[in-house]
Order: sequence, then C-alpha cells, then structure tokens
Amino acid sequence: MRFTILLLLVFALPTRPANAQVDLAGEWSPRVYNDHMDIGDYTGIPLNEAGLLRAEAWHPDQLDLPENLCRPHPIDMGLRVSVSQLRITNELDNETRRPVGLRLKVAWQEPEQMIYLDGRPHPSANAPHKWSGFSTGRWERNTLVYTTTHLKEAYLTRTGVPKSPEATVTTRVHRYGNLLTIVFIINDPAYMTAPYIRESSWIADPNQVIPPFPCEMSPDGTIVPAGKVPSFLPGKNDVLSEFATEYGIPLEATLGGEETLYPEYIKKMKTMKVAPRTTTEHYRRTQ
Amino acid sequence: MEPHRIVLLVAALSLPLSAPVVAQGPAAPRGGASGTARALAPYDVTGYWVSEVTEKWRFRMLVPDKGDYVMVPLNPEGRKVANAWDPARDQASGEACRSYGAAALLQVPGRLHISWQDDSTLRMDTDSGTQTRLFRFGGPPSPNEAPSWQGLSVATWGGSEPRDRRDGFGGPVQDPTGRLVVAPQQQKEADYLKVVTSRMRPGYLQKNGVPYSGDALVEEYFDTFSDPYSHNTWLVVTTVVTDPRYLIEPLIMHAHFKKTPDASGWDPTPCRANEAR
Repeated sequence: MRFTILLLLVFALPTRPANAQVDLAGEWSPRVYNDHMDIGDYTGIPLNEAGLLRAEAWHPDQLDLPENLCRPHPIDMGLRVSVSQLRITNELDNETRRPVGLRLKVAWQEPEQMIYLDGRPHPSANAPHKWSGFSTGRWERNTLVYTTTHLKEAYLTRTGVPKSPEATVTTRVHRYGNLLTIVFIINDPAYMTAPYIRESSWIADPNQVIPPFPCEMSPDGTIVPAGKVPSFLPGKNDVLSEFATEYGIPLEATLGGEETLYPEYIKKMKTMKVAPRTTTEHYRRTQ
Repeated sequence: MEPHRIVLLVAALSLPLSAPVVAQGPAAPRGGASGTARALAPYDVTGYWVSEVTEKWRFRMLVPDKGDYVMVPLNPEGRKVANAWDPARDQASGEACRSYGAAALLQVPGRLHISWQDDSTLRMDTDSGTQTRLFRFGGPPSPNEAPSWQGLSVATWGGSEPRDRRDGFGGPVQDPTGRLVVAPQQQKEADYLKVVTSRMRPGYLQKNGVPYSGDALVEEYFDTFSDPYSHNTWLVVTTVVTDPRYLIEPLIMHAHFKKTPDASGWDPTPCRANEAR
C-alpha cells in the first residue's frame, strides 16, 4: 500500500506545468495611442441595444462621484490607459517555490492580475467578482493565452461604454523580441453582439520605474452634490451628437454596432445624412 | 522496501520526466535541412481575410482631416509635410497610391488574399487599392531593385530562438570542442511570421497625408488564432514603422482580419487619394 502511494507521488512530483515558453517577465513601456476619448464615440464597438442605452445614459460627472474617484479599471482596460506602464513577474508558490503563474501590475491605480498556469480551475460562478477577475492560462506554442472570468461590471471605454459582470476576456500575449503585443478578445453577450478585439503593444524597458499611484477620495458632496448621480435619461443626452458633428461623421455610424466594423460600411456611410460640422467644447478625456 | 532503496527508486523514476538533459548538439531544422519556407510554416496564413476595424475607426473608415495626426509620433518635419497634404495634387500627379504603400496598406479597410506564389514566396493581394505584396523567404533583397509602393519584403518564421536560462530550461552549453550547443529541450518551434520591408517609395501612414519617407523600415509580425467565442479564425498584424526622417520614435500599429471561406465581397478599387479605401 505504502509503495503504491509512493509510486503515485513519484509520478505526480516531476510535473512542470507553469514553466514559460518565453520570458515575459520584466518592465514594459506602453506605446498606447488612445482611442474612444470622446463622449458619443462608440465607433468600432459591436454594441447591442442594451449596451448603447447604457452608454448613452453615462454622464462624465459620474467620474467625480466619491466611489468612482479611486475606482480601478479591470486589467484589460487598465492596460490601455496612457499611463499603463506594465510589470510582469513570475509568481512562485510560497512553500514549494515552484512556478504557479505570472503577475501583471499596471501603473494607473496599480491594479494587479494573477494569471495561474498551474492547471487550477476557475472558481464557482457564485464566487465574488473582482476588478481583475480570475485568470487561468496556458501556452500555445510561444503565446501566452489566458481567460479571465469573475470581473466586476466596469467600463469598456473611458467614456462610459459598459462591460457587464458576465463578460469574459481571452487575452493573448506575444513577445516579438523587445516588443510585446497583447490582444484582448472581450466577449460580453449582455452588451455586445460579437467578440470585441483590440490590441496594444509595449517596448521592453529594463530601467522603467513604476511610481506609486496614491489616490484620495473626496468626501461625498465635495464635487458633485451629495446624493446626486449625474446621468442622461434615455433620449435626453444632448451632447451625444457632438462627436459626430465635430468630425463630420453620420451620427448613426458613431453609435457602433457590428455592421460598422467592416469595409462595406464605408459605402453605406456615403448614403447617410451628415449634420453640418461644428467645433464644440464637448467632453474629451485628456489621457 | 528499505527507505534508501525507495529514495533511489524515486530519484530514478523522476529523472526522465523532470530533469533537462544536457546538451545533445545542434539539432537539424524542423522539416529537414532541405525544408522549404512553405514546408516549415508553423501555421496556415493563406486564404481570404476581411478587415475588422475596432480601433482608430475615424482614421481608417473615413479620410481624416488635414492635420489630424494625433496618434502618430511625428517630428516637426513630418508635421510640416502632413500639413501640406493635397489629395487633388496626389491624384493628378499619379501619386494616389501613397496611402496604399506597405507601411499602411493593412490599415486600409478591405480584403486580403494570401497564397503561396512558390515554396519561398508568400503573396498578399488586397482589394483596396488593388495592391500586391510579396514576402520572400531566404535572404536579403537585391540592392538593385527600384523602390516601389510595396518595397522589398524579407520574410522569416520567427520565435524559434532557443530558450534561455530565464525560461527555466538552462542556457546553451559548450560541447567538448567548445561550441555552444542547444539541447532539444531548449529548442522552440517557430510560431509567427515576421516580415521586414524596405526600399519603399515615400507614402502615407494615414489617408490624410501623414508621411513616411523612402528611408522608412517596416517590421510586421503576423499571428493567427481561433477565438473561443465566435470560433472565427483571426489574423492579427503588429506593424512597427521606423522612420528617422519623419517620426520621433517608431510607430506601432495593429490590424486584425477575420478569415472568410471564399472571395465573396472582394471589391477591387483603384488607388484613390481622397477615399477611405
């Protein structure tokens, strides 16, 4: 009996599930060219009706609510803001010192994401959702592929396009020499009709220093009157069209949708009405 | 069984499964020394693909305004050239293909057809601008070829560099003659297509005349995968444009394409200076 148990242990011990195929660890400097910085810019996003309704209801003053001032982005969004310096470290088990996965840390609001590569399962669907969710991954040849579930409801863009807590994100991390490209495939049937794919890149920067990101909440009522949650009622968003008029785009095209992602839509846009162009002081994120 | 025998047994059984073996000498290339680029391909990049534009939408699906180069790290000389853009002049002077050059062709919404022209040349045709790119494996291009819109592209299968110590597999070791050799455990399979393009005619990074010069160098990395949600097959291309004449640092761009079953939707267009595609 003892011998059988020992033999089982013998075959269990030498497995090496989490060893990397390439070395992703290090400091990575972002090359992010920000998109979707204007209210009403939902271009290229396969939003469904519910997603569009939520996006249109969002008011930029919501960012000044106390609970939102220090609210982190989930990592798939945090990696895309302009101060998304990235650090990747190998994570070892505290007791066995065997690799269990990779840890990502981003500068803005300092979110961290642990990617388990040791074969553990995802928790129950009823487990708590977190800003960075729960991620498990594997190597496909030299590409790290991981899936994130258990994400809190968050933004898909920083101008109020929503992402539901049912969303899952599959992420592909590929190192090409000193270039790191990350492809996000976001699946959110609650708000989108198709997976939403977007990419970002970083350059290896061994001397990069990620500074602390202190954040302090203002008391309720300091910026926005206490008890008020700024929002637009359906059909009452009076700044929604300003992005379209600023850039001379048909309003319908700025509201996203799967059809707008493909080349054929260029022809269709030529048949659409474009409002006279105006330059406005409309809301635009600065970073 | 006595304890020391059990320990020996454990050690003996563990070795073949966990311990990297010392260097075995240089391994032959996969597919054999005579393997062609086509035979060595780690994945199939051929077929028909259609752009899916999810980012930089207003820069790609429309012709942006003159002077709108907010996402391009232009230097002062580059801004000066961009601010002088005149599409009517380009069209009239036979320069309408400037925005369909190799550096930015994949940013133009449209369809691709990729095929093997021969065992060492991948061919990419685009319906937008009706352009053809040739990715040649096996050596640098002839220095005598004249610059063209699509330039000269050298292709390699990348990612097969040996693992090093940081990957947990140990590094190359010396054989008895002092040569550095790589053990089989340290070898990786190639897993992406890398294309380096030079000798291009000056062109545009965006439809609105944001320039790159004839000195620009374009590096492209191609990855394919199937997404677990729609089960579509995707091609993602990361493009790095280095141009000391007009850029303060390399510009990194991305484009992704969905595989289509056939040529449906193929819609060839001529080069047009004032159209999005």
